[in-house]
Amino acid sequence: MRKYLEVAKIYMKAQLAWRSDVLFNMILTITKMLFAYLLWGIMFQGKSMIGEFTFHGMLSYYIMSSFLSQLEMSGRVSYEIQDRIRNGTFSKYMIIPIGIEKYFLSMQAGIVMFYFSFQLIASMVWIFILDIQFTFTGNMMSFLCAVMMAILGIIFMVQLNYLLGILTLKYQGISTFLMIKDNLMELVTGSIIPLALFPEAIVKFMRLLPFYYVTYLPSMIFTGKCEEEAVLGVGIILSWCIVIQFVISVIWKKYIRKYDGVGI
Amino acid sequence: MNNIIEVKNLSKNYRRYKKKEGLKGSIESLFKREYEEKIAVNQMNLSVSKGEFIGLIGPNGAGKTTFIKMLTGIIAPSAGEIDVLGFYPNDMKNAFKKQYAVVMGQKSQLFFELTLNDTLRLFKEIYEIPEEEYRESKNYFIELFGVKELMDVQVRTLSLGERMKMELIVALLHNPKILFLDEPTIGLDAVASKQIRKFLKEINEQRGTTILLTSHYMEDIKMLCKRTVVINHGTKIYDGNTEELFERYQRNKRIQVSFSQPTEVKLRHDYEVQIIEDTPYKKTYETDKVHAKDLLEGIMQYDPVDISVEEEEIGIIVERIYEEGCEHNA
Repeated sequence: MRKYLEVAKIYMKAQLAWRSDVLFNMILTITKMLFAYLLWGIMFQGKSMIGEFTFHGMLSYYIMSSFLSQLEMSGRVSYEIQDRIRNGTFSKYMIIPIGIEKYFLSMQAGIVMFYFSFQLIASMVWIFILDIQFTFTGNMMSFLCAVMMAILGIIFMVQLNYLLGILTLKYQGISTFLMIKDNLMELVTGSIIPLALFPEAIVKFMRLLPFYYVTYLPSMIFTGKCEEEAVLGVGIILSWCIVIQFVISVIWKKYIRKYDGVGI
Repeated sequence: MNNIIEVKNLSKNYRRYKKKEGLKGSIESLFKREYEEKIAVNQMNLSVSKGEFIGLIGPNGAGKTTFIKMLTGIIAPSAGEIDVLGFYPNDMKNAFKKQYAVVMGQKSQLFFELTLNDTLRLFKEIYEIPEEEYRESKNYFIELFGVKELMDVQVRTLSLGERMKMELIVALLHNPKILFLDEPTIGLDAVASKQIRKFLKEINEQRGTTILLTSHYMEDIKMLCKRTVVINHGTKIYDGNTEELFERYQRNKRIQVSFSQPTEVKLRHDYEVQIIEDTPYKKTYETDKVHAKDLLEGIMQYDPVDISVEEEEIGIIVERIYEEGCEHNA
């Protein structure tokens, strides 16, 4: 376990090496928050509610979901694996006594912890400055479920990206898979079309997919909405983590022998 | 027998995709792909005893790196038997990985934005090295490689030679039983290469680490390896004493001289001298190594401004072994 903790630590240290990245990331968080404050301020002029949201409720949801979205940075996992398999440098992970998937999970944990700390500080400061009355669930069970869901969501996304990455062993290129994943994720989380515009049957189907539980549902639960879905949500995302882990081990065993380590 | 590597009839075949030239060929390949089989390693046999320092040489594409990759488990063999430290390498067991290290000249284990100290701390945990052993090992290598002042410097700011020293420290930290080195001196200048050779010699002698080295540089092999294996087209064509190899098959020396003014050189000799290049300012000759000294003395009378004496390349040695059909101990 200590080795994986050290992997997480070294990636955290690597993030800290670039001061401008730290600065720009904080500026991005601040800018998004200011923009949301101004935009929703205009939208709520003369209204106390939009849909089920109050002005402060809406800002709370926005802060929470953008906070979680910014922590979901597992996309680099699939690209890194793809590039390393294609140029032969994936060997660097194969010759050291570690579980490669666990290494990538720890790497991601280190990066997430780094951004989590800085974004949390930036968000707290701006919530205080803009005097946002942050809406937060008062239900401890819902809160714990949302925390678990957010963690499992990030783990699932790393697993998914790891799976897509190792498919390079078979297909050499995985950009089509990555495009499908990105579009599906945007669709299911309502980034392209609001979920409310879909027929109920389709929304129900989408709720069976894991992406709904990565940022959308945890953000809603944290801000006191959809709390009735909390326990089931944890069950669904946990099931997805187990299923994908099984698929990873099958794919890995099947295709690792195809790795030829050539490139450079 | 005290063999830590035992390989019998080991082969590796690759299937590679062939495409006809041009756009038409690319479109055709969408529907129908043609593949060709390439034999990278062919029926290789090798036994390595503990503490040996073995050189693996051969021209580009000979199969040296593929062979090392099979020994380390990175790739699976197509056929044959392989046993390294009692393990089948491609099972990739952690217990096996803890006992060897690989340094590939162009593949780094270092974190470029961090310091060597950071990377060493990570590898201490990865290899589960006890704190005291870690400190002892780290201090030993810092002293050996003379890198004390570089330990807290970002790796990306180091020179290539310094970086190679760091790669070696990372690889050797857990005191591996076998060290696989694939072109460790590639791209290094003469001074850095010499230093790396000195360190490797010391590690082999003092720690008893078995080392398998692939290199294009004859100097690396001559200085370090008592035993050399020559590979060509995936087949072992020589396996024996390094000195004997070079004595028997590296026969000629190439002498290159430059002059400050146009010079006509007339050499008197009763042995064979091949003129490779003859321009007013520059001449290149090749003769057998026995007469190289006499030839050089003759040239010196014309007062050259620059002289270089080179030994024959690996390709020529391989050709000669083939021509003479001698498979010494292979």
